[in-house]
Amino acid sequence: MTIATPQPSPETDRLIAAVEGADSAAGLLTASAALARHLAGSQVPAPAAITSLVQVLGFNNPGAAVAAVDGLIACGEAAVEPLLANLDAHNYGARAWAVRALAGIGDVRGLELLEQALASDIGPSVRRAAARGLGQLRCGALPQDGRLRVRGRALEALEAGGEDGEWVVRYAVVVGLEGLGLDLADPQLGAMAPETALLARVRQALNRHQDGDDTVPVVRLRARQALGRLNAIATREAMEPQ
Amino acid sequence: MAVDDSGSSPPGGGQPISEAEALDRLRQTADQSLQYYAAWWLGRMRSRHPEAVPLLCAALRQRQPRDPGAGVEHNAVARNAARALGKLGDPAVVPDLLAALEDEDDGLREAAARALGELRAEQAVAPLTARLRSGPAGAGAPQARSPRLQEPCEALIEALGDIGIASPEVLAVIHPFLDHDRPLIRSAAARALLQLTAERRWGERLLELLEHPQLQVRRAALMDLGAVGWRPALKPIRATLAENSLKLIALRGLVEDGQGDPGEEALLQAMDELL
Repeated sequence: MTIATPQPSPETDRLIAAVEGADSAAGLLTASAALARHLAGSQVPAPAAITSLVQVLGFNNPGAAVAAVDGLIACGEAAVEPLLANLDAHNYGARAWAVRALAGIGDVRGLELLEQALASDIGPSVRRAAARGLGQLRCGALPQDGRLRVRGRALEALEAGGEDGEWVVRYAVVVGLEGLGLDLADPQLGAMAPETALLARVRQALNRHQDGDDTVPVVRLRARQALGRLNAIATREAMEPQ
Repeated sequence: MAVDDSGSSPPGGGQPISEAEALDRLRQTADQSLQYYAAWWLGRMRSRHPEAVPLLCAALRQRQPRDPGAGVEHNAVARNAARALGKLGDPAVVPDLLAALEDEDDGLREAAARALGELRAEQAVAPLTARLRSGPAGAGAPQARSPRLQEPCEALIEALGDIGIASPEVLAVIHPFLDHDRPLIRSAAARALLQLTAERRWGERLLELLEHPQLQVRRAALMDLGAVGWRPALKPIRATLAENSLKLIALRGLVEDGQGDPGEEALLQAMDELL
């Protein structure tokens, strides 16, 4: 296998320089958005450009950070290491944006950070992003025991997140549970498969949100929709010829 | 509607407390900051305790000067008591709130008006209308040396919309505020008229405010569209430049309080995308 290496490009260098040289909030927003668009459109994202976007997360400029997060999500796996390596425990804002980026990328290396964020971040918008991210971790490339471990941990985190006091976090937990449930629902698996046991817990958790336990109607409605989607898969499988 | 987060965060911070502790804190009168927190707590937790309402009604009668050193607003305890009474849903407190609506403190009148709106108190329509009758140049004129208006117009107008009595007199009183200088007041008027008449043109006024250059105005329009649950606003809500957190609150309103197209499926999908 040949690994493509990013070619130095004058265009990339120019866009990075524009981010670094921005001297106003509006200028930083424009430059970050331009670099993010450029990265999203490139086959092999340049590491220096990724690093530059990761730094933007720490500049206390929400507009620029939103653009940077979009660009980093578009980079996918290539952005995971730089994001994890640059986590700053003392810059709450930067950390919150990194959680959002990792949630959107869905790489399993972000699992621990997402768990921590859902359990204890003070910002509901960060817990919300973490819950959604825990439901869309891509672990297809892992061996079965690794997959089970990741999904088991994600499920545990989401079960606990279902007790969150903010309705919007519980809504995101329901969306996360649906994602996890759809990943686990595999027609090839028998009743004794460990995935089947996890799926049963996903349904249980969704049932708790669907019933009167959750006081917020939109959360109950979303849980009902999620259960309907999981049931539709189960019915379709049962009807398929063996 | 002005954006405030009084629903989710305790004023002045504080540790989690029990219902019994909250009632004790509200009962004592030596430390008003304890009372202030307790009143907020009882409303936030939707306390069903039989003593909660009587204690809050007593607190509603408390008056105190503003204490800048303590960082506490004028009549802080009474204002928080009014807010809590709005959330507890007991119609028996309406006469107490109507009395507070006549107080000389416009901040207390504001809290009382909002509570009366939440309680859908039809008895409040006449006094609310009376306070607005002098129009943008009277009730809506700025106070000297203060950013506040003569009357808390936004709260008074929104309460009329929430109560929902669409009499010609109510509509005529709200109408002139569509042209108030301040966009937040215009937003409140459009919101109330949309609630009262369900006429599309008032929804479209809110959509215009959703494109206002000031973030604060776009936020207010978002909250107003959510409060009415006006579903044709889905696309503009997604497109406006504001925090996803506020868009999610607005869309929740469209799901829970709205009807018609777009349907729940499309609304929930839009919410999922904002997480």
